[in-house]
Amino acid sequence: MTDDFHPRIIAVLQELRRIPDVIAVALARRDGLLIAHVLPKSMDPKRIAAMAAAIVGTSEMAASEMGFGAFFQSIVDSGQAKMLATGAGEEGILITMVRTDANMGLVLLSVGKAVQAITDLLEQAVTPPEAQA
Amino acid sequence: MTGTGDGSRIRTGIQVLDERLKGGFPRPSTLLLFSDKPTEKRLFAENFAVQGAIAGEITLYVDFFRAPTLARAELSRFGKYPADRLIVVDAVSSQLMVESSEPYRIKDIDDLQEICDVIVQAIQEQKPSRIVIDSMEFLADHFPKDAVLDQWKRIIDEAAKVRSVTCFLFINWTYHERDLSAIRALSDFVVEFQSSMRGGILRNSMRISEMEEGGIRTNWIPYAFKDLVGVTVYFPRIMVTGPFNAGKSTVVRSLCEKSISIDRMGTTVAFDYGSVNITGIEAEIFGTPGQERFEFIFKIFAREVSGVLLVIDASRPEDFERARHMLELIGPRIPYVVLANKSDLPGALAPDTIVRKMDLPDGTPVVPTVATESKGVRDALAILAEMIIGVR
Repeated sequence: MTDDFHPRIIAVLQELRRIPDVIAVALARRDGLLIAHVLPKSMDPKRIAAMAAAIVGTSEMAASEMGFGAFFQSIVDSGQAKMLATGAGEEGILITMVRTDANMGLVLLSVGKAVQAITDLLEQAVTPPEAQA
Repeated sequence: MTGTGDGSRIRTGIQVLDERLKGGFPRPSTLLLFSDKPTEKRLFAENFAVQGAIAGEITLYVDFFRAPTLARAELSRFGKYPADRLIVVDAVSSQLMVESSEPYRIKDIDDLQEICDVIVQAIQEQKPSRIVIDSMEFLADHFPKDAVLDQWKRIIDEAAKVRSVTCFLFINWTYHERDLSAIRALSDFVVEFQSSMRGGILRNSMRISEMEEGGIRTNWIPYAFKDLVGVTVYFPRIMVTGPFNAGKSTVVRSLCEKSISIDRMGTTVAFDYGSVNITGIEAEIFGTPGQERFEFIFKIFAREVSGVLLVIDASRPEDFERARHMLELIGPRIPYVVLANKSDLPGALAPDTIVRKMDLPDGTPVVPTVATESKGVRDALAILAEMIIGVR
């Protein structure tokens, strides 16, 4: 049922990771829990997942408050790198970190592809929890 | 050196569970590790076996799926154990038609009598304190029901003679409800397992029921596995909430070795986060902001909440109304403990006064704390953990 879910998600993340200037990739759930990651050892994946959820949640709220329509992604633009937090289906947030001078056209195209693949995988991988007595 | 105190109980190695079980499973007893779908229940059995070997107990592992060398290698993921304490009954090398030098080896896998003779011989000679049969569905799938049930009883009887705790792994896909109740009746404890996946995250949980009238019963207990640590009780989310300036971030900081707080000008604007690992419990702690204008943050994190630590300033009854409201934001029927923080301040109210003033149900646990000095905070978490695990 769920046996091959994790490896398939990792494969999608790794493919995105191979794009030039992409430093790290992770997938979090919208409530801040980590699903999977290909991050360097120096980063704490659980914390990054929680922060990305707060950023996305806040941004989504801001977008709707201002009447901007559907939310797609937040970009944190910093001195040495950018972090893209992109909605992936109802449940997921794709976190992509890239160097500041990255070719953003290519990055955004690849992120879009990965989001599509992840959305499909997440939709398939639902087993309803049994009744909790 | 049995590692079991008076030797009448067998520890699971999951501290918080052993406490609930008054020191572990009694010797002798029979455990049915049961699920009706494939789950991670083998993790529990393997952890149980390795904990025994680490404690210096003789442990017998009957494995129908893995060759002994593979089984031993995989078991070492649960921690380093003395090799001579763990005896594997080899049921695989004959299936693969390879040589084996194992002392207990099943030669003919199509002969139920021979299979069980080897197991019984191992029990009689080794007198193990723990036995794992991995698994009964292998036998149930290959042999007639009545014969399997007879042998099942025989193994239980032999194990009882050497006062062993025996785990039978069993996924049911062949037997009817009537046979199942017979199997449950053979067991002293039934440990049920379930796995579910939501939003890409797999959750495992188990529930322990003692079959005896009025025996121990737990709620569904979430658990996780980590290499070299083994199985731990795992709460994916403990929320720390409460009114403005009650000390929520300080509570998170004092619980967790490493924590982060997203705060500006002394108040949390996004959340606090940290993880704890105490007494066999692993938990992720999320602290919320206290101010009303950040309430939308609740919507992000208030999901799959295992329990709530509600932090209040015991000297500010004017905030109690707000505290109640915050509890409601997280949702109904979630276990919570009230932390009466700043209990060292003049004018701090006593727990029973707080229960009355907040109009909380009788018996709501209120723990006086001084989070700045880490006083009472861990006790509060321990009480919450007990409530989540639940024993009746």
